[in-house]
Amino acid sequence: MKSSILQSKYRNFFIIAFWITVWEILSLIINQEIYLPSPVATFKSLFDLMSDKVTYITILYSTYRTLTGFFISTFWGIILGFVCGMNKSVYNLLNPLVSIIRTVPVMSIIIIAIMWFKDTNVPVFVAFLMCFPIIWTNTIQGIASADHKLLQMCKIYNIKKIRVIKSVYFYSALPYIKAGMVSALGISWKVTSAAEVLSLPKYSIGRFLYDSKVYLEIPDLFAWTIIIILLSILFEKLLKTIFRAGKQND
Amino acid sequence: MIKLIDVTKKYDDMVLLKNFNISFEENEITCLFGPSGVGKTTIANIAANLVTVDEGEVMWTEDAVYSYVFQEPNLLSWYSVYDNIDFVLKDVYDNRKRKEVIESYLEMVELSDYKIFKPKALSGGMAQRVSIARAFAYPSNVLIMDEPFKGLDMKLKNDMISLFQKLWKESRRTVIFITHDVDEAISLSDKIYFIKNRPVEINMDIDLNNESDRESIKKILLTS
Repeated sequence: MKSSILQSKYRNFFIIAFWITVWEILSLIINQEIYLPSPVATFKSLFDLMSDKVTYITILYSTYRTLTGFFISTFWGIILGFVCGMNKSVYNLLNPLVSIIRTVPVMSIIIIAIMWFKDTNVPVFVAFLMCFPIIWTNTIQGIASADHKLLQMCKIYNIKKIRVIKSVYFYSALPYIKAGMVSALGISWKVTSAAEVLSLPKYSIGRFLYDSKVYLEIPDLFAWTIIIILLSILFEKLLKTIFRAGKQND
Repeated sequence: MIKLIDVTKKYDDMVLLKNFNISFEENEITCLFGPSGVGKTTIANIAANLVTVDEGEVMWTEDAVYSYVFQEPNLLSWYSVYDNIDFVLKDVYDNRKRKEVIESYLEMVELSDYKIFKPKALSGGMAQRVSIARAFAYPSNVLIMDEPFKGLDMKLKNDMISLFQKLWKESRRTVIFITHDVDEAISLSDKIYFIKNRPVEINMDIDLNNESDRESIKKILLTS
């Protein structure tokens, strides 16, 4: 067991080393930092950023926006998902709206949101709109997956509707909701950063991405991108750990 | 007593029951015997008011309350053994009475030591015992058992039959028992209806009070 964990760690190390080498070779071939900075220049920028207090404040604010959008969409996605999953008429009413939200380009939503809200709330609103359909759809699918034999059992034993929702539908939907939350969290990081680039709140990763582009500090652009990726991975792992802990406590 | 009078039931264009008549006597075990897919479960579900009829009439005892033992245990996998029984009794008894009833039935099915276990930690036979305990713990007067011993090995099946008989003697109720196993039908039932063909028809109404006739009935059922 220990040796297989060690093997897997070595394997991951070599995979990362391989791709960094490819990156280095490409940057040497292109030889223009403005198109592709070298890994050394990028990691130097990353190191410089991590030594600056402002970076942490920026990360904190962007994390706050990402998580706020994510949690609001989770809350409403589950609530409305249950309502629509249990009632076909409400589903038919809401489905066209959610389908439109799903197909409208993110950029259009961001620009509309910039006109509606103040800069700091734009990313939250956009993250909410992008994540909500995922949680909503997964919740409805989870409700539809409820075992009809369990529902028949509830009918036979005259179980009250509220208890059927709590004890059968909720638990049936839970794996779908969890899967939806994991993918919504990743998307929330992406769209929050994109919305920050356009709405430019004071402390935001998106603002630094924008500044990097304007001042042609491409290593900084790459360093901030790495920060977003690492944050996204970190929070995804955190969420999965919470879910696993919840499962073990069951 | 539950009576189906001139009942017709269709699924799309397929006529499953046509002018069908059957009755289930109070506090007796009535067996619906016949091959798979002939409509035994539909008859039981009509009797349990789970399925509506297209034509005809169904007469129930005024205060009919049902419990059901399904082919599979149909337990909530996220709840413990105790909570699965508690789930159906919550709206029926207060906390103290519920605890008393659950503990006594878990003892009867010899699962007291497993009350905090989740269903996936139980064997198939143990899970089915929970399902039987749940059905008996519920204060029903009509119990429907839809091939409850299907897929169990011979020893387990015999154990379960003994368990069922023990519980039924403790708490008699009207039982509609569905099976296509001759031995189960004969060892458990007061009365057997042999059901075959589509639209479903009853080929015989067998009274099993007479011990000496049992063997000959077995022969008839096996050769039918």
